[in-house]
Amino acid sequence: MNRVFQNLPGLPEKIKALKDLIITNIVLLGQIPSPTFGEKRRVAFFMDRLAEFPVDECTRDGYGNPIGIIRGTSEGLPPIFLVAHLDTAFKEAADFYYMVDKKYIAGPGLIDNTVSAGVLLSIPMLLQRLKWRPASDIILAGVVQSIGKGNLLGLRHLLKTWSTPIRGAICLEGVELGRLNYYSEGMNRIEIFCRIGRNPVQNLDHRPNAIIILNETIDRLLHIRLPQKPHSRIILGKIAGGHKHGESANEARLGLEIRSDSDEMVRELRSEVRALVADIAQRYKVDLKVKTISDIHGAGLAYNHPLVKSTVEVMKQLNLKPIREPSESELSLFLSNNIPAVTLGLTRGENPHMENARIEIEPLFTGIAQVLGVLAAIDSGVCDEKRVA
Amino acid sequence: MKSAWLEKNTFHHSAFKDIERLVGEKERRSLRISVCLPTLNEEQTIAKEILIIKSELMLRHPLVDEIVVVDSGSEDHTREIAEEYGARVFQAEEILPHLETFRGKGENLWKALYITTGDIIVYLDADIKNIHHRFVYGLLGPLLLFDTLKFSKAFYDRPITDKNNIRRPTGGGRVTELMVRPLFSMFFPELTQILQPLSGEYAGFREVFEAIPFPIGYGVETAMILDIYRRWGLDVMAQVDLDRRVHRNQNIHALGKMAFVILKTFCSRLEKLKLVNFSQETFDEMIQYTLVKNRFQPETQPMKGLERPPMLEIPEYREKFHPV
Repeated sequence: MNRVFQNLPGLPEKIKALKDLIITNIVLLGQIPSPTFGEKRRVAFFMDRLAEFPVDECTRDGYGNPIGIIRGTSEGLPPIFLVAHLDTAFKEAADFYYMVDKKYIAGPGLIDNTVSAGVLLSIPMLLQRLKWRPASDIILAGVVQSIGKGNLLGLRHLLKTWSTPIRGAICLEGVELGRLNYYSEGMNRIEIFCRIGRNPVQNLDHRPNAIIILNETIDRLLHIRLPQKPHSRIILGKIAGGHKHGESANEARLGLEIRSDSDEMVRELRSEVRALVADIAQRYKVDLKVKTISDIHGAGLAYNHPLVKSTVEVMKQLNLKPIREPSESELSLFLSNNIPAVTLGLTRGENPHMENARIEIEPLFTGIAQVLGVLAAIDSGVCDEKRVA
Repeated sequence: MKSAWLEKNTFHHSAFKDIERLVGEKERRSLRISVCLPTLNEEQTIAKEILIIKSELMLRHPLVDEIVVVDSGSEDHTREIAEEYGARVFQAEEILPHLETFRGKGENLWKALYITTGDIIVYLDADIKNIHHRFVYGLLGPLLLFDTLKFSKAFYDRPITDKNNIRRPTGGGRVTELMVRPLFSMFFPELTQILQPLSGEYAGFREVFEAIPFPIGYGVETAMILDIYRRWGLDVMAQVDLDRRVHRNQNIHALGKMAFVILKTFCSRLEKLKLVNFSQETFDEMIQYTLVKNRFQPETQPMKGLERPPMLEIPEYREKFHPV
C-alpha cells in the first residue's frame, strides 16, 4: 500500500492548503448553467480547466464527455476512472450565482453534482501537491446526460466505446460524507402521463379529470403485492397536473420508480404497472401512457470484496462511519460492466435538489482525502483479482 | 466628433486572456499590482470575489500582489469573511485617522491609496454576483501591454454592434443614459465614447490616482473621468468589454440620489473650468417624495458633494510614497 494510504489522517489538512483553488473550481463551474442535454458551455469550461491545471491528455469522446488523463508510472496497468456528472436538474433561467461564506457554499445544482465535478477538476493539482503519480492512468471523466431523462447516456457511451479494460472506478457525489455505495438495485424509472382529449360531444362538466385518473392509478399501484424477497419497492416520487384551481385538469403526470434486488422482479412489476394503466385507460376512455425513462440492471460487489473492505478501512482512518446503501447512478453501469466501483459522498449538505442547496466546506477536505485513499487502494491492486459478484 | 478613440482604445477582455504574458510584462516593468474592494455590507459576495481573484491571479498566476478590502463600517460579516479568505481588511475610519471621517465609496477608494502598495490599483465593486478573474486581467491588460495607457474602465454586455450590424443600446444604466451622457454630449462630446462611464470597475497607475481629487460618494467615477481627461487627455484611457456583470439592482430613489451627487460633481467641474456660471448658489439637499397613506411625504437627504484633495497633498502619503 502506498504512502498516501498510510498517511490518511493527516491528508485533510494537506488538502485544505488548496482550499481557495478547490472552491474556485466549484464556483466557476457551478455558475455555468448545465441542464441535462444543455451541458455544452460547462463541458467547454471543464475541458479548458483540465488543460490549464494540467492533465497529460485532454479530450472529448464521441458523445461529448470531457475526459482528462493523468498518465501513470506503469504502462501495462489498466486505468482507474474518477467520474462525476456535469448536468444539473436546473434550467438556464435559475439564479446560478453561488454564495460563499466562512462555512458554506450555496447555490443550485451544487450538491447534485457540481461540487463533485469541481473536485474532479482539482485532482491533478492535488496529486501534484502530494507529489504522487499513481501507477495506473487516472481518467477524470465529467459525464454528460446523466440525470433524469439523460438516463446515464454519457457514461453508457463512454464505457461502450472505451477500448481497454478498466481497473476500477470511483463515482463522486456531493453528499453525504460517509456514504458507501457498492451495489445497485434493478430499477425502472417510468412516467405515467394522462391527457384528456377534446371531445365535442362531452359537456365540459362531464369530461374526465386527469388528476382523478391519476388518483385512481395511484390507488391501483398501492394494491400491487410487493414481495419481501427479493426485496422490491414502488416509489411514487413526482406528481404534477392541471392549470387552474377552477378548471378540470386536462393533463397530469406521475413519476415513479420500481426497484428490486432482482431484475426479473423489476420486469414483472413493470408489466403489471403497464397492464393496470392500460385497463384504466380503457375503462375511462382517456389517453393514459407509460413511458420508461431509465432502466438499470442490479449488480454489486460482495460486502467482503477487497475494494469494499479497503474503502471501509479508509473511512475508518478518517473517522467516518460508512453508510451502506444501494445507488442507481453511474455506479450501476460500472458494476453491470463487471468493473469494480464504489460511489462516495464528499461532504455534508442540505436541500440537495433545491436552488438553495448548501454544502459545508470543512468536511469537504475529509471527503477528498477519502477519495484519494480509495484511489490509492485501487492503484495498489485491491480490484485486480476479484471482479463484480 | 471623431470616434477614433472608440475604435483604437476599446478592447474585449479575451484579448488579455494570456495571463502569463501579462505576468511577464508586469515583471519586466517591475510593477506591483493591488486589487481594492470597497465594501459596505457585502457578506453575500465578498468571499467569492476574494477567492477567485486570489486563486486565479495570485496562486496560479502571480499577477496580483495583494487584495485589500476597505470597509465603510459593515454591520454584517463582511470584514470577518474577507479576513478568513486572506484579504487585507481595513476600516476606512482607521486609515489616516486624524482626518475628518466621511462615509462613502469614494472615501474608501481614496484611502485605499494610502494602504495599498501597488504601482497599479484595480478597483472592483464588491457586489458582483458573477465574478470572474477576467474582471481583473481584462482591466490590467491594456495598462500592461500598452505604454501610453494609464487608466482603463469596464463596460459590459457587448454593447458594440453585433456581427450582423444590428444596432443595440450601449448597455449604460439609467443614470448614465438619462444624465451623464446628455451632460457629456453638451460639454465634452469626446467623452461620450466612454460607453459606461459609471461602471464601478476600473484600474489605473498610482501616479494618476494620487494626483486627482476623489469625491467621497457616488460622484467619484464621473470626477475621475473628467479630471483624467482634463489633465492627461483621452488617449491615456482605455475601455474594456468584460461581457456580463450581474449585481443587485438599485431602486429609483437610490438612483435619484446617485444622480444628484453626480450632477453636483459635474457642476463643480464645469464652474472650475469656467464653462458655466451659476448666478446663485445651488442647494445641498436632495428632496424626494413618497406616498404614505395617501399623503405625499417629503424625504430630504443632505448631500454636500464633499471631495478629498489629491492624495499627493497629504503629508503622510508623500512621506510614505515619495520620501524626499
